[in-house]
Amino acid sequence: MLESLLALGGLVLLRDSVEWEGRSLLKALIKKSALCGEQVHILGCEVSEEEFREGFDSNINSRLVYHDLFRDPLNWSETGETLPGGPLEALRALCRRTDPGPVTIALDSLSWLLLHLPCTTLCQTLHTLSHQDSCHGDSSPGEQVHVLGLLHEELHGPGPLGVLSSLAQTEVTLSGAMGQASAHILYRRPQQRLTHQMDPTTHLTFNLRLSKKEREAKDSLTLPFQFSSEKQQALLCPGLGQATSHIFYEPDAYDDLDQEDPDDDLDV
Amino acid sequence: MAAAASCSTSTRSTGSVVVAASRNSVTSFQRRGPRASGTDSGCSRLVSIAGTRPSVRNGQLLVSTGLPALDQLLGGGLAVGTVLLIEEDKYNIYSPLLFKYFLAEGIVTGHTLLVASAKEDPADILQELPAPLLDDNCKKECDEDICNHKTESNIKMKIAWRYQLLPKMEARPVSSSRFGHYYDVSKRIPQELIEASKWHGFFLPEKISSTLNLEPCSLNHGYIKLLQFIQNIIYEEGFDGSNPQKKQKNILRIGIQNLGSPLWGDDICWTENCDSNHSLTKFLYMLRGLLRSSLSACIITVPTHLIQNKAIIARVTNLSDTVVGLESFIGSEKETNPLYKDYHGLIHIRQIPQLNNLIYDVSDVKDLAFKLKRKLFTIEHPPTPTVLLPSQTSTSRGHSPVW
Repeated sequence: MLESLLALGGLVLLRDSVEWEGRSLLKALIKKSALCGEQVHILGCEVSEEEFREGFDSNINSRLVYHDLFRDPLNWSETGETLPGGPLEALRALCRRTDPGPVTIALDSLSWLLLHLPCTTLCQTLHTLSHQDSCHGDSSPGEQVHVLGLLHEELHGPGPLGVLSSLAQTEVTLSGAMGQASAHILYRRPQQRLTHQMDPTTHLTFNLRLSKKEREAKDSLTLPFQFSSEKQQALLCPGLGQATSHIFYEPDAYDDLDQEDPDDDLDV
Repeated sequence: MAAAASCSTSTRSTGSVVVAASRNSVTSFQRRGPRASGTDSGCSRLVSIAGTRPSVRNGQLLVSTGLPALDQLLGGGLAVGTVLLIEEDKYNIYSPLLFKYFLAEGIVTGHTLLVASAKEDPADILQELPAPLLDDNCKKECDEDICNHKTESNIKMKIAWRYQLLPKMEARPVSSSRFGHYYDVSKRIPQELIEASKWHGFFLPEKISSTLNLEPCSLNHGYIKLLQFIQNIIYEEGFDGSNPQKKQKNILRIGIQNLGSPLWGDDICWTENCDSNHSLTKFLYMLRGLLRSSLSACIITVPTHLIQNKAIIARVTNLSDTVVGLESFIGSEKETNPLYKDYHGLIHIRQIPQLNNLIYDVSDVKDLAFKLKRKLFTIEHPPTPTVLLPSQTSTSRGHSPVW
């Protein structure tokens, strides 16, 4: 299931609620991306860094780049550790990131960002963030950007939820019944042509290639109707003696050829 | 009732074959354009623009929307100088298709395009347009142009040597004089057609630098930039008659995607009462003013299902001329309804404009459904509930009314 969530690039929206929390799913997706060798950036706003890193083993922890907005979001302590400009600047810095390779950006959480940033700015920044691969030209599917956003459904009205759903390529809604959690996944597949075509002639059980000897034998084969070049020229350019074909037709009583009303004006 | 309705639509279709716009017609029947819309000289000059024809009802100049079925429902086509508003379906699957049909029709008829979007780059949108289906008439016109070129075959063919001296078929830009074309959605438009066409793109993230601190004003900055862009194009290329030395008149087709979404910087999808409640309505009002004074037609898609304030939706509908709403069955309870099992959604013609006439135009087709087949987007009447007998569930659609 995790692979299918990460298959389409773009924004993956994880909607959770008080009863069915989504941070563990977010961490599972981060772990999967890190194991696949992608760079992972985390914008942590709701829980402290130690609490977030809990549960990851050390090799994964070393791959995570953590941007901490929890401890001192407004930069009151002025130690210079936090990012200047707050969350918006942090997001924009991620947009401007130029190192190549697939990357996963986890936003924990989108709800916090929604409450602290103007909504249209956030939408535009999210859109730029999730469509970064298009700026770098025609990229193969391995170079996708995944943006994972955790959204707490109960904090927002139908407006923000609807807008973020329409921006997301994949949407996972966590719910459950009787102690059993379930996830409802919605994919928006863009109807686009494949930029990455697999070569169909690999992994075949029969041989499609010709060896040099076979190629020579093929070329020297005389095909029927393959005349010598003189005969070809003679046939192609009819001389004066040859007559081109004509069709002589005389309409009889049953033919209706009315010159005044041909069928050209029928707009069928 | 159902039979009468279908009769009336068919008479409308035969009645609206206007031959005046087609250059190659050889027929003794010539329909005279009605004189309701102005002087004769004005009428005859406008009719010569490719891809347009005068309406049979009020003489208004019409362009095709790209879907002949939709043209028929709108009374022949979209009037030049008006706005076609498409209310997007919930998952935004079918409204981009109507948008692309409109733009593809512009390319095939040689109109100038202006594509504005905040989501996708206009160049990418143009790459995804459907390929036109050229029938024999258009191919004949193509061949006449091609036979004038003498081509030499520099490739010596081994097996097909008899075809060496035939002229090469090139996919040249087809300037078709027909009104309304069919498109194959499964194929992309050939690259040569896009390159031969004239288009202008407006991609919002490029035009607005996001780090600027802009003071709030009554109209959204994205909308202001877009209006200025459209106005510049109209003025520079003479669509409003400002360059009188231009002899060949042409139509400007404007397409604006996802207007009103937060990507344009508008708040109306977010909350019910926001500061910029009037941005979109002001934009539409100014846009319509620009369109009325120029030879252009515009298609706009708006995500009305996301707009929180119903009053804004009503205002937006009133400010547009033609309004078509799409409702897809995905995820709704109508998906399991046996009436709609062959269809993908409903299409609602919410408003048709009254232009230059006093007759109140009531659309007599209330329920229409669409389906997207692999190659074609079709609009049909679903079978009425009285027609389906309770015993016939899945196999046949009842052919005789119960009453």
